[in-house]
Amino acid sequence: MTRKIFFSWALIFCLLVTVVGCGGQQAADTGGSGGGGDAGSGGEKITLTLWYWNRSIDDNLLKEVNKQFPNINLKAEKIGGDFKAKLTTSLAAGSGAPDIVGLNDWVAEFFPNKDQFVNLFEYGADKELKSQYLEWKWNQAVTPDGNYMIALPMDTGPTALFYREDLFREAGLPTEPEEVSAQIKTWEDYFEAGQKLQSALADKKVFMFDNINTVFTQATHQNDKIYFDNSDNFIGDQEHIKQAWDRAVKVHQLGLSAKIGGWTPEWNAAMNNGKVASFIGAVWMKQILMEAAPDTKGKWRIARAPGGDGNNGGSFIGITKQSKHPKEAYEVIKWLMSPEHQLNSLVTMNLFPSTPSVFSDSKVVQAEEFFGNQKMNEIFMKSAENVKPAYRGPKFSIANSAFQDELTNIEKQNKDPEKAWNDALNKIKKELTR
Amino acid sequence: MSNLELATGRGRKQTGKYGSLWREIYRNKVIYLFISPFYILFAIFGLFPILFSFYLAFQKWDGIGEMQFVGLDQFRYLITDTVFWKAIWNTLEIWIYSTIPMLFFALVIAFLLNSAFLRYRNLYRIAYFLPNVTSIVAVAIIFGTLFGNTYGFLNFILTSFGLEPIEWLNSRFWLKIAIASMIVWRWTGYNAIIYLAGLQSIPTVLYEAARIDGASTVQTFFRITIPLLRPVILFTVITSTIGGMQIFTEPQILVGNGGGPNAEGMTIVLYLYQQAFTKNLFGYGSAVAWGLFVVIAVFSFINWKIVQRPES
Repeated sequence: MTRKIFFSWALIFCLLVTVVGCGGQQAADTGGSGGGGDAGSGGEKITLTLWYWNRSIDDNLLKEVNKQFPNINLKAEKIGGDFKAKLTTSLAAGSGAPDIVGLNDWVAEFFPNKDQFVNLFEYGADKELKSQYLEWKWNQAVTPDGNYMIALPMDTGPTALFYREDLFREAGLPTEPEEVSAQIKTWEDYFEAGQKLQSALADKKVFMFDNINTVFTQATHQNDKIYFDNSDNFIGDQEHIKQAWDRAVKVHQLGLSAKIGGWTPEWNAAMNNGKVASFIGAVWMKQILMEAAPDTKGKWRIARAPGGDGNNGGSFIGITKQSKHPKEAYEVIKWLMSPEHQLNSLVTMNLFPSTPSVFSDSKVVQAEEFFGNQKMNEIFMKSAENVKPAYRGPKFSIANSAFQDELTNIEKQNKDPEKAWNDALNKIKKELTR
Repeated sequence: MSNLELATGRGRKQTGKYGSLWREIYRNKVIYLFISPFYILFAIFGLFPILFSFYLAFQKWDGIGEMQFVGLDQFRYLITDTVFWKAIWNTLEIWIYSTIPMLFFALVIAFLLNSAFLRYRNLYRIAYFLPNVTSIVAVAIIFGTLFGNTYGFLNFILTSFGLEPIEWLNSRFWLKIAIASMIVWRWTGYNAIIYLAGLQSIPTVLYEAARIDGASTVQTFFRITIPLLRPVILFTVITSTIGGMQIFTEPQILVGNGGGPNAEGMTIVLYLYQQAFTKNLFGYGSAVAWGLFVVIAVFSFINWKIVQRPES
């Protein structure tokens, strides 16, 4: 009997240890993966954890950190699934968050909780590093009052017009990137070119645009303001958004859209089958297009986007307040995101640098086979330098999803555009009260 | 074993007062110790989140910062929230389109698997169960290519027979059919295995007697199998009601967090997820969860009444 009781308690104990172990793991294996000797003794070697997602940082560069900083043992963890939700949870829990964390273009959603992150200005980031980075990109990680910087820039997403050179030629449109930029300068030029292309290639059923959500996204990102002003007041009902909206609606009314949503197998198939002649996209669409449409190799080109340059996406890297070694972590992120390493990541991972000093490097401008040996980054560089700084704010996704959902309703269910606009505004105003 | 019998025997004699209950627990501590792992895990991963979400439903919280008590505001908003009501109707529609064919096919498959003349029985059992353990994300991607509007496989078949293609992912009705078909594909085998276990507990003498009396297969199915399976059927109806009310991954992967055109694929749990995890409205997300709780409770009760009735 007593033995039974003993074993039961032992079992419960083991169980509790396992449960608690889930949470305490990080504390337990400090200095673990670095190998034998360093644990225990004076604690001279510091362990820093880093969370990132696939393809956001060059894995080989991360391995270099331990060599560059002999006193640091960097544990880089690739976090899958919903990255933001996992980060939010670990911050809310007050433990379990990494020292260093990658942040996507939703970085501003953390402004209301900026004190969860180390203010990089306290380590002299503004004096030491600011001049190295693109200004608009830098400002995206600084709170509107200009006093608090929660992360350093990683890569950027300057945009350009991706177009099918062969289809443009068949339709009698300009084909060389310079000519395209010169002749298709505004959205109106772009619509006109679309009509011309579709009537010339009527038997092929080619469309100029993939979907009207792309039109709206790109048109809004060419402005210096989007849905909120610096004090987080909603300004999405004003002229600059209405204009972008009207452009999207016009593409629908002129029948220029293939009505195929992004990030679907359908989109890949449409690109590969040559059903879409152009779209405006960020530099990272390059990789996506190459993977989606291998049969169109050599047929695509890029030009400066009609309507102006813009930026989509791009990420940041910050330090959480939970870190016990913020000073060392700062040195690591500074080193990881140095111009030299950003250049390297462009070559190895197609991550477009946020440090313009490397733009003059010969490695940046290389002929790319998939795009008919065009030197694409010449165009993306110019685009990156001309992006207008636009404040996104913590409530960006509330406004954005309402507009995007209603545009989908227009395109896919023929909803009346006037009603859709009003519905979107009503929905946003209602949701912002919560 | 003897311990257990003793314990229950003693328990029956002395129930009534709380004090004596605790004394009973103390006296039989070994047995309670044996069952405690479940309760410990449940308290941490089940009970605590349930209570916390109830607390959250009265707060305004972005997931990290300060919580702000807002009383019944979240529920007041919930009642007038058109998308929430739409999500409820969508969920019910999808549930009906999926559960009825699913349970019907499961019963037929289980009946066939149980028949005496079948060879390679285990192979079939595994084959029918396999969809249930397949990665749901992979399944959704495959179904995404099947139901594609322009380049989908089903529309390819339709057009090659000279029929009009269907805009599966745009239409109010067909989107729900697409989601329901994924559920049917995934869960029919699972329910069939449960039915099969139920079928095997029916004594074979009944079937033999029926056969001697000249009953056909269809007659034995409706006169013997179905009535004797009623408790198992009740179980599957309730579990698939609870499961059906919680549909999430299928619509999320097929049409995204927004629920697709005009939110036609928006289910309650998808809405909960969208509010809490993409819009950072954790208080409202919790209120949606309690709305879902009420819906599930009501439907489980109705189900139970319907399936129970013929017996009483």
